[in-house]
Amino acid sequence: MSEVLVEGIRKTLGGMLTLQDINMKIGERELVGILGPSGCGKTTLFHIIAGLMTPDRGRICIDGEDVTGRTGIVSYMQQKDLLLPFLNVLDNVSIPLVLKGVSWREARARARENLDTFGLQGFGDYYPSQLSGGMRQRAAMLRTYLFSSGVWLLDEPFASLDAITKRKMHSWMIGVFNRLCPTVLFITHDVDEALYLCDRVYVLSECPTVVKLDITVPCPRPEIARTITDPEYGRVRDTILDALAV
Amino acid sequence: MRKSKSIADKLIPPACILLILAVWEGGVRWLAIPEWILPGPVRIARTFAGTLPLMLKHGQTTMAECLVGFVAAIILAFMIALVMDEITPVKKAVYPIMVASQTVPIISVAPLFIIWFGYGVLPKIIVVILVCFFPIASSLLGGLAGVDREYLELFRSMGAGRLQTLRMVKLPLALPAFFSGLKISASYSVMGAVIGEWLGAKEGLGTYMTLSQHSFQVDRVFAAIVAITLLSFALVAAVGWAERMVIPWSRLRDE
Repeated sequence: MSEVLVEGIRKTLGGMLTLQDINMKIGERELVGILGPSGCGKTTLFHIIAGLMTPDRGRICIDGEDVTGRTGIVSYMQQKDLLLPFLNVLDNVSIPLVLKGVSWREARARARENLDTFGLQGFGDYYPSQLSGGMRQRAAMLRTYLFSSGVWLLDEPFASLDAITKRKMHSWMIGVFNRLCPTVLFITHDVDEALYLCDRVYVLSECPTVVKLDITVPCPRPEIARTITDPEYGRVRDTILDALAV
Repeated sequence: MRKSKSIADKLIPPACILLILAVWEGGVRWLAIPEWILPGPVRIARTFAGTLPLMLKHGQTTMAECLVGFVAAIILAFMIALVMDEITPVKKAVYPIMVASQTVPIISVAPLFIIWFGYGVLPKIIVVILVCFFPIASSLLGGLAGVDREYLELFRSMGAGRLQTLRMVKLPLALPAFFSGLKISASYSVMGAVIGEWLGAKEGLGTYMTLSQHSFQVDRVFAAIVAITLLSFALVAAVGWAERMVIPWSRLRDE
């Protein structure tokens, strides 16, 4: 399950045509990166897929069902961790389950089972302000996972982290992806991050935005962080950089 | 080294106050200022101790007016701010009126309440409510409006309803702002009650003050000022204590 179809999405924001015509198809368990210049409407696109905004035209289908403008179906992780400062980690990540009607007690139990996978073992009782940036981001991702294991929208989840933490998060995330097999849409500004993590990359144009390039990453997801030496990788990287007009 | 410095930091303010009191006492004695113009601190302290039972009786009334008015203002402000925040047209209609109403000096309308409601405690409570309402309501409104939009989007994307979002996100995040308004109101409430009593009452520290003033018992006026200040201080301290109970997470950052 969990195939996402983005069909002919158009959206005008504040009188400016932001998204002209966006078409995407994300297969089950696929990890798709979205690259594009700043201000091209990537976050707007995610808002539309998450149902927070309705498009002027076009529709969003998940597993063939039209879910345009409906919230509560896909998991949306924004740039900031958005953990509530007054709840500890365990309660914070339990929130999506509680919102679905699960009791706090059971939600906490289910959250606790998953702390280990997300590298938060023993930190359930900590408050967000007591955690490092990387741990907060992992907690936010656990919350995303507990909301839905189906489709994840990740909007630059590592943008606020330093380079070393980011590296660690990459290899950690590959492990999580391989284990949980979600369908992922991943916004990033970092070409290498996209190539490293994703199976396929969409490159978006400047406003009014269309999909400029749809390119499959030739090398399989590496098990651990290594510098990729495949010559094909360099070619794909250049193609993407050309499309971004860097 | 650091410890001795922090002790010194704590000792400086009381030492400074003691110095001011000493200068005051010395000045009054040296210049032989009559007691009915300016009594010295020692005399005020003696009067305070001597009239304590009487002032406690008056203080009870003032305290009751403050508390009833303060609690009523909190409840009213809470309900009105929530409705205003949830329903935008209501906010647009009411907020300008709320702000404009603050330009009316409370002391100029208070006599009306005496005319309408007599010399009992009700007009005082109304004055307290009017004085306390705005700081609480506006700080809560500011807190609710200041909640990061992204939190609201996150909760909406997770399918949370408005009430759930209000309870789980907006209210807790607005609490620090709410309490800062509450502290201002706590000290205003005593002032409101005293002003209400000045204009005419049977009992209360404000009445006691006016009576003492009319008979030139300036030491008693000062003793009443001390009592009023203590009452005000106690209320603000109580609010601060409640804040620490209700929002323990705000202290985490300092630890």
